Amino acid sequence: MATMEAKNDTILSIRNLVKTYPNGTQALKGVSFDVKRGEFLVVIGLSGSGKSTMLRCVNRLHHPTSGQIIYRTKDGHESDIAQAEGEEILRIRRTMGMIFQHFNLIPRHSVLSNVLYGSLGATPTLKSLMGLFSEADEKRAMEYLRLVGIQDKAHFRAAQLSGGQQQRVAIARALTQTPDVLLADEPVASLDPATCHIVMDYLRRVNQELGLTIICNLHFLSLVRQYATRVVALKGGVLVYEGSPSDIDDAWFERIYGEGAKEVHIN
Amino acid sequence: MSQGNSNVASEKGASFRRTVLDGVVFAYLGLTGLAVLGLSEAELIQKIPQLVLIFVGLSVLGGGLSLLLNARGIKTLGWQIYAPPHLRMKSTEELATPLYRTFWGAQMIVVVAITTVVGVRMTEIDIFKLLEADRFHHAMRLFGELFSPDWSVLPKAIVKVVETIYIAFIATVIAVPIAFVLSFLMARNIMGGSKTGFAVYAVLRTVFNVSRSIEPVLWAIIFSIWASFGPFAGMLALLVHSIASLAKQYSEIVEGIEDGPVEGIEATGASRLQVVWFAVVPQVVLPYISYTVYRWDTNVRMATILGLVGGGGIGAMLMEYFGQAMWPQVGCIIFVIASVVWLMDAFSSHIRAAIK
Repeated sequence: MATMEAKNDTILSIRNLVKTYPNGTQALKGVSFDVKRGEFLVVIGLSGSGKSTMLRCVNRLHHPTSGQIIYRTKDGHESDIAQAEGEEILRIRRTMGMIFQHFNLIPRHSVLSNVLYGSLGATPTLKSLMGLFSEADEKRAMEYLRLVGIQDKAHFRAAQLSGGQQQRVAIARALTQTPDVLLADEPVASLDPATCHIVMDYLRRVNQELGLTIICNLHFLSLVRQYATRVVALKGGVLVYEGSPSDIDDAWFERIYGEGAKEVHIN
Repeated sequence: MSQGNSNVASEKGASFRRTVLDGVVFAYLGLTGLAVLGLSEAELIQKIPQLVLIFVGLSVLGGGLSLLLNARGIKTLGWQIYAPPHLRMKSTEELATPLYRTFWGAQMIVVVAITTVVGVRMTEIDIFKLLEADRFHHAMRLFGELFSPDWSVLPKAIVKVVETIYIAFIATVIAVPIAFVLSFLMARNIMGGSKTGFAVYAVLRTVFNVSRSIEPVLWAIIFSIWASFGPFAGMLALLVHSIASLAKQYSEIVEGIEDGPVEGIEATGASRLQVVWFAVVPQVVLPYISYTVYRWDTNVRMATILGLVGGGGIGAMLMEYFGQAMWPQVGCIIFVIASVVWLMDAFSSHIRAAIK
């Protein structure tokens, strides 16, 4: 009974995930770990450690070379993301929002349009090409814009917003998908320290209030301690740590980031 | 291991290429030497099969010579161009040697010199022809007449130049949507994902590279027979050329877009078409407009030339008066063409600057 519960508790089981790029680079060399439903999992590691690749394998922006990514939906349905093809990949992506280091908005389009693009997956292609999003979609988009506190900028061009505001628009876009999981690839790496906390706070709110599972790549340890409920660390495509953020001491820090690395605090 | 192999392979390829280049250069020198030494054009035409054989023979000989020289450490032109970078490092001694004293430098100078000599003979350059009293005065009279235009044909010229502008406009307008769709199918980053996609990309690229290398004047000749002389033939010729050029230019813009927005839209679970429409199109719209305006401008100039071979518009009118040596009228037409080309140029660069 206890094992059953533990199983239901797990939303993603990554097993022996390997990704080798066509140029021969081995970004992931057999990574295995679980993601629990509703947790705020942070993935740490140097650039080039395979964090971004790992995240992109989960929503199949990248195609894994081998291994499994078992995905359990709320109703207990299990599927292997690594084996998905065609339409199946699009269906998986719809249940996973993603935000990026450089926001990846459409800079010339309005904030509201950008948020609406979160419902592209649920809108028939022809309808969306004519710009016909449903009223419910627009309502939901506005609602999430309000949640991230930029409803008054809805009709500005995305490019007119500051970096932190753009990232909040990106969060609203991801939420419009009504996803189960939110993937965040270095969401604050191109923001200043003050803005950085605003964005991280919104992510925590989304995690706690909407119950979204979050997998977030970060490289500032001080942020990790503040926001993560659990941490995994990658180094050279291999998992080197899995545990609680408070257990990462100086020795672990050196092991993850290499000899002589010093922790930098941002406030 | 695999890297070592590819190095060996690329070195083999390079050595093959430099041998071929040196061989062909040698054969070229030998053959032009032969031709300059006194074969007339008629004799050359008659002896083409033999000359081809001689060329091949000399190439083989030159290739052998090149291998021999390279083996003895003498750097030929082929070596200089195709040697792998790590072997191309020069010693201080080599850097101090003037170009003409190196083997490859001398080889290059001889090739350029011989080509220039043959070129001067072939183009029948004769400065004195321009200065003969008779010819000179004739030309001066012609200029005089051109520069005192007969303005009585101005109304007709204006009507005709408007026709030309419309020919160019319609060709551009029809070409744009076709080239728009083609541009995505001809962009490697959109089509490279699957085998079928890549096949479509490769076929379209080839077809349009070929059609683009056929000059619009040739298309105009073909269409003036197919669709009979007139504006319609000119428009069709411009259309074919515009589609090919725009599709190429557009697709290069598509290949230069940023990946971020594409990834952003892809991650929402959007379909392929939605990704193109919402992430690619917004990035290319402005450059597309800029290229399109420039294309219209170019088409106006081309339409004038096409008129000369049966494409209608102001070009056809120019041809009519030119054929009867009515120079004052020709002068007026040239004035109208120059004004319109200048205006279009100013207009299009203004628009292109405004949307940047």
